[in-house]
Amino acid sequence: MDKAFDMAKDALENGEVPVGCLLVYNDDIIGKGRNEVNQTKNATRHAELVALDELRDWCEVRNVEVKTVCERTVLYVTVEPCIMCAAALRLFNIPVVVYGCNNDRFGGCGSVLDISSADLPQTGTMFKCVAGHRAEEAVEMLKTFYKQENPNAPNPKTRKQ
Amino acid sequence: MEPQRKRLKTSDLDLDSWDPVAVLSDQLCTDVELVQALAAPVLDHRQTSRAVQELRQMHPLRGLAHLKRVRRTGAGSAHALEVLVRPLHEPSDYDYSRLGLGDLFVVTVPSTAPLTRPQFDTASAHWPTSFHEDKMASAALRGELFPAGQKEKMHRYMSLAVEAAKDGQKLGLDAIGAVMVDPDSEQVIATAHDCRRKHPLHHAAMVCIDLVAKSQGGGRYGYEEFSGCGFSASHWSAVQPYLCTGYDLYVTREPCVLCAMALLHSRVRRVFYGTAAADGALGSTFKLHAQRDLNHRFEVFKDVCVGLCRELDQSRSL
Ligand SMILES: [Zn+2]
Ligand SMILES: [Zn+2]
Repeated sequence: MDKAFDMAKDALENGEVPVGCLLVYNDDIIGKGRNEVNQTKNATRHAELVALDELRDWCEVRNVEVKTVCERTVLYVTVEPCIMCAAALRLFNIPVVVYGCNNDRFGGCGSVLDISSADLPQTGTMFKCVAGHRAEEAVEMLKTFYKQENPNAPNPKTRKQ
Repeated sequence: MEPQRKRLKTSDLDLDSWDPVAVLSDQLCTDVELVQALAAPVLDHRQTSRAVQELRQMHPLRGLAHLKRVRRTGAGSAHALEVLVRPLHEPSDYDYSRLGLGDLFVVTVPSTAPLTRPQFDTASAHWPTSFHEDKMASAALRGELFPAGQKEKMHRYMSLAVEAAKDGQKLGLDAIGAVMVDPDSEQVIATAHDCRRKHPLHHAAMVCIDLVAKSQGGGRYGYEEFSGCGFSASHWSAVQPYLCTGYDLYVTREPCVLCAMALLHSRVRRVFYGTAAADGALGSTFKLHAQRDLNHRFEVFKDVCVGLCRELDQSRSL
């Protein structure tokens, strides 16, 4: 989890939403990621999706099946995965997710919707959540970020509707 | 990089076989809910305004602020006006005859403010209510949402998505296609087909989103091996839009949770899809575009070129 927080700090220093995560398989880190939405101009580049791509590369290099590895992999992430990432984790068959604070804006493990245990037979497998690990620290980082506000997002006050 | 597409002849357009259907939030398409309350006839006309004032003090009608306090009765009634006194279960032993009112009787009243014309009509039949119309929803329910000519455009864009789906299918991929359009310039920004057999998350909409990012100088993946996936930079405005702000997505099948939330994160303007999907998140299992607590909402229409899209779905399962 320390490492996930380092990733989140790196995101913060680079003007990204401070979320960091690790994928751990047999005590090995086989994927890590931090938010890179602004860098790629792709709103789906959340830490979890970045890490899942690293996991795929790891499997490819070793010529092992992604699904077999994922079924024994745990995700550690500083903030509750959003609805999109929760669906992605299901599609990758990740069984356990350990996270820090709740994600009140987009949370997909209960805060807005519970995708982790929803009945979606065509969207992969359900996963178990372990919440609250170093939650306060994760909240503080998010607060710092939203205080600076995202420089790439349009100013909501001047945006015409 | 811009994908070459043959222009469709007008004779190809089968516009009568489908109509776009707005996917509205449950709030907008459900029936009006009713609760019971107590009302009374006004026997002494001159006391009406005092009676209303006193009742407002005594029984403020919490949560029912949309209801009018007084209603006119139909011709042939012994009294001209009736007032709403209090919710059915609110206790009171007050003698309302002191306000010039007759015996209390039970009425059913709408429990929430109506948002659409049909809801308003139903609600008013029970008790008069204020009405702040959701114009888009009312127009959608009347089937009058789009001006003439709009359907041809929808058909044109959806046909491109269908073509892309077929390109993918030829490569052994799932027959699902999507295009991202800038409706102001009528420019197709990105065209994509499903690639989930190559990468579990590369659903058509996800590929489209990354291709839009590429058109803006970003992006994460290369799709060179797929001739059906491509983009063209927007030549409309000097200022690039933020993510997919202002863009419309046409996709042959209803997006899943992953894709629907990705579209929401991307601030898409509207989504048009053909067929519904069992795990679909824009109408079937969830209505993410109308979900409370989320920071962006967008409009969704289904059944666009539904016949063409259904053919794709069926060909996939062969
Ligand atoms: Zn996410
Ligand atoms: Zn999808």
